[in-house]
Formats: sequence, structure tokens, C-alpha cells
Amino acid sequence: MFPTIRSLLLGTLASFSIFSYANEPQCDIDRPIVFAGFDWDSITFHNSVARYILEHGYGCATDEIPGSTIPLFNGMSRGNIDIAMEIWLQSVDELWREMEADGIAKTIGINVDDAKQAFFIPRYLVEGENAPAPDLKSVADLPRYAQLFADQEDPDKGRFYNCILGWSCEKTNTAKLYAYGLDKDFVNFRPGSGNAVASAVESAILRQKPILFYYWTPSWLIGKFSDELIILEEPAYDEAIWSNLLAATDKDADLTKVESATAYPDSQLAIGVTTAFAQSAPQTIEFLSRYHTSSEIVSEALADMRNNDTRDEAIAKRFLEKYPDLWIQWVSPEVATRINESL
Amino acid sequence: MDNFFFNIGDSIRDSVNDAIRYLVINYADGFEQFSGFFITILVTIERALRWFPEPLLIALIMALAFIASRRWLLCLGVGLGMYLIGCLGLWDQSLQTIAIMLVSMLIAIVIGLPLGILTARSNRFRTVLSPVLDLMQTIPSFVYLIPAAMLFGLGKMPAILATVIYATPPLIRLVDLGIRGVDKEVVEASRAFGATRWQVLTRVQIPLALPSIMQGINQTMMMALAMVVVASMIGARGLGETVLLGLQRNDAGQGLLGGIAIVILAIVFDRITQAAGRRAQAHHQS
Repeated sequence: MFPTIRSLLLGTLASFSIFSYANEPQCDIDRPIVFAGFDWDSITFHNSVARYILEHGYGCATDEIPGSTIPLFNGMSRGNIDIAMEIWLQSVDELWREMEADGIAKTIGINVDDAKQAFFIPRYLVEGENAPAPDLKSVADLPRYAQLFADQEDPDKGRFYNCILGWSCEKTNTAKLYAYGLDKDFVNFRPGSGNAVASAVESAILRQKPILFYYWTPSWLIGKFSDELIILEEPAYDEAIWSNLLAATDKDADLTKVESATAYPDSQLAIGVTTAFAQSAPQTIEFLSRYHTSSEIVSEALADMRNNDTRDEAIAKRFLEKYPDLWIQWVSPEVATRINESL
Repeated sequence: MDNFFFNIGDSIRDSVNDAIRYLVINYADGFEQFSGFFITILVTIERALRWFPEPLLIALIMALAFIASRRWLLCLGVGLGMYLIGCLGLWDQSLQTIAIMLVSMLIAIVIGLPLGILTARSNRFRTVLSPVLDLMQTIPSFVYLIPAAMLFGLGKMPAILATVIYATPPLIRLVDLGIRGVDKEVVEASRAFGATRWQVLTRVQIPLALPSIMQGINQTMMMALAMVVVASMIGARGLGETVLLGLQRNDAGQGLLGGIAIVILAIVFDRITQAAGRRAQAHHQS
């Protein structure tokens, strides 16, 4: 018994002694770097990858604070959080611009530049022999199909699964419902969390049931079911109409008065840091400003996450092993070597 | 050290996911029909509440408070509270919340009362049920809410389910406690007069435990109100939605409005049920 305990103790001690490594990289900052853990899924992926690279390539300690957008942005203002890996510039425009104008935070790079938002329906509603809605192509056809999407709690109307309550996409979509004249035939159903919509969609697809919902990429849901889903056509994106729509979603304007709307433009997802952090961690900033992925890569990785090990390190390793040519552009050769050694 | 702990996490995770998938594919339609039944009750209650003109509904609640307490001051306070909710602009949301609370409470009573009586009668049953009640009260609701949403559909049904799971345990515990607290000599005396077990239960034990049972119903109501914000996360409308909206839009003011309305509802229903409980007690002591 005695030797076993002894070796266990020694093993524990040995694992603490990694700091004695000879060629140990020097992190910019001698405290953990704190990431914002927003409450949507792609953030888990980006945080895992960035944290893995910072830990194994730069010798940094990292941490993550989970929460929703507003509290986490407030945390950045107070300096409790250093990095936000995915800022939907169009959606949080006002708040983020304010923080930038006040010199609290700044955008240092673009993570994804082809993020999409749209109204989705399952493919089996439209295609196939017994498809219940072969003519459903665009939002203009929806009033005829309200019964198909009937809401159990209000059976005379269809149910439109809107974006998450309180997010700016929820207001935009509400304005769109009025602009497309769908408010009379559809219940504007606003769930309180992303998981809730995703579970409703997954449940419907597994059972081949009708469902009409707003969603976005990159996300695991669209990554996993990309073959089963189609996007409803909307009037083509038009800048003038779009800016009118956005103006109407500003604080006190009347959403019911919006008369025209268009499809969403592709969104840019930025990486932002606090100004204080930017000044004290130049190496990290250099890495983050080169960090760049795409909607497709992220959606695929997220769908993968659903079926595999979801520990942060495993997520990061799978990505780093799969796309060596991509991430090698983000870091210096020495850092790349250290990361490759750790894989 | 990795080998010290036998890894069961992965297999539990996978088998639970497979089981949920299986349930969704094969039984979700049935679950949805089942939930349709409760939603009909809920929607009917909600429509009925909305059908009343506001002053009449306030008057009815005041009358309820008076019948329960026979105190004018309480009756007045309750009316004032309900009026204040209307002034906050949250009348409709409050009615939605009350409807969810009432349905959850009814289900909780239907489940909780018999279970409470059973736990009072059998020590073994109590030992088995006790950890289940602990689990129901402490497990984070999202753990079962997401699979529930997949089975029942988003909206009010998973909200009711979550509320019932969270709010039933105190009722079971207090019914148990109340019946166990009934004086043994009284029970024995009634037996001696030839009462059957059923008669002892319905004529002696339950009436004497009534204050405790009312306390349990009161606690169930309070817990149901505490769940409204969680319920709004899965799309149940009402005051929770107002609070959540405030939180997500960095609108502390709106969050507070919703919060105040929930507190007012809690006080109103707390005072009414408390008073009913106290009168039940007084009735039996006289």
C-alpha cells in the first residue's frame, strides 16, 4: 500500500512542476486572461481554440466567465473580462460603439465575415412526393400555410419561432413579420434561450414535423441539419430599406409601422478586447487580430461537437488537427511548433 | 490519476442522449397530445381571467381575500396590490402568470396530497421518496427542461412541468409533517370508537392537519411564482418574460417592474392562503 500512495503523491507533484520547463514561453500578462462566455454555441468553439493556443503556445493562463451579452459587456467595461471572441457588430451596434467611443474596448479583428441569418423551414415540407407545402418558397407564401405551422396554444394561427427574447434579431424579425404582413396569421413566439429553439427544431426534424423558425450561422443546429433545411426567400437585400428597418428597431419606434423589409445581409463577427488589455498584452493582440475562421468551418465544428467529446480541450484539438494550414497563419513559427508538440 | 476514477460519464451521456432521441422520434406526438389537454385547461383559465372586466376581477380577488380572512384591511390591501399591477402596465402578463401558477398548483395538489398521505403512513415510503424530493428541488431546471421541450414542444407545457417538479416537494413534506403531527391519542380514541382507517384519515387526520396542508399549498404557490422567469426561458409568456426582457436588453427598469409585479402577486396569494390556513386552524380549535 505504502509505495502506491507514494507514487501517487509524486505524480501529483510532478504535474505541478511544468513551470520548470527550460524553453517555457513568456505570457504577456501574469494573471489569467479572461474570455467572455456568451450564451450561444459558437462562442464555446472560439473560446476553446483561442484558449488552447494561448495556453499551449504562449504559456498563458486563461479563464472564462459565462453569461449573456449585456452582463458580459458590462463586465468588460469594469475590466473583469478581457476578450470577446464573437461580437455581432450589426446586432449590438449601439452598445459596442458606445464602449468603443468611451475608449473602454476596441475591435481588433474579424473572426467570421459571412455569418448568415434567415427564416428556415425543413426541406421535407417542400420536396418529395407527399410534401405538404410544395409551393412554399418565400415569405410571401407563408399566409397560405399558417395552418401547417399551427400553434398548439393558439390553434388558429401558425407559430413563428423568433430569435431569443431581448436580442436585437428578435426586434428585427418582429418588424419583418409586420412588413411581410404575417402578424395576423402567425404567433410571434419568442423563446428565452437559444437551447430552447434548437431543441424545438431538432425535435421537429427528428419527427419530420413542420416548423418555421429564424436561426443563424455559424451554429451547431444549421451545421448538423444543413441538408434538411432550406432558407425561405425574402426580398433581396437593399441597403436603404434595411437601414429604415434597423432605425425602426431602435428603442421606442413602433415596430408595427414597418412596411418593407429585406433579407439579412451577411454579418461580420468581430473580436473585441478591452483597451487596457490591448495595451498590456501585445503578443495576444497580434494573435487575435489574425484569428479568422468562416461560417462553414465553425458550423461544421459545432455540429461535430454535438456528437463528440465536448471538453474544451478536445474541441480545440479536433480543430487544430483538422485545419493546420489555417491556424498556422495566426501565430509565429515557434508558437506553432509548441502547439504541434502539444497535440 | 485518470485511471483512478472509472469513467461512467461518457456512457451515461451517450445513453441519455440516445434515449431522448428514441423518445422524441417515437412518442413525442403522444406527449404533445397529452400536453394539449393541459394547455386547453390553461388557455380556458387564461381566457376566463381576461374575459372579466378588470374592476370585477379585482373585486373578486378582494372578496376571496375577505372570505379567507374576514379582515377588511387585508381585503383592501389585496385590492390595492392588484390595482398597482395594472398601473405598472403588467395586467395581461400577470393574468398569464396567474393562469400558469393555478394550473401548476392544481397538478401539484393532485400529485402532492396523496403522496404526502402515503409518506405519513409508511416510513419506508418516506425513506424512498425523500431523496427524490431532494432531487426535484435542487436539480437545475434546464437539465430536464430542454428534453421536456423536445417532447412537449416549447411554450407553456414544459413551463408547467418545471413548476410542478419544483413546487410539489414542499406540499408533500408539509402534508406528511401535518398528518404525523396529529395527536396519537386522538387517532387512537377515534379508532376505539370504531372508525375505519379511511374515516380516521378523512375525518380526523386531514382536518387536524389542515393548517399544515394549507401551509404546503401556500409554499407551492410561492415556488410556482419563483419559477416564472425560468419558465419564460422556454417561451412561456407572462411576468417572467418582462423580467427576462429587461435583463437581456440591459433595461434594469423594466426588469424591476416585472420583479415588483411578481412580488405583489406573491404577497397577495400568500396572504390569502395564509389567512385561509389560520382560519382553518382556528375553526378546529374552537
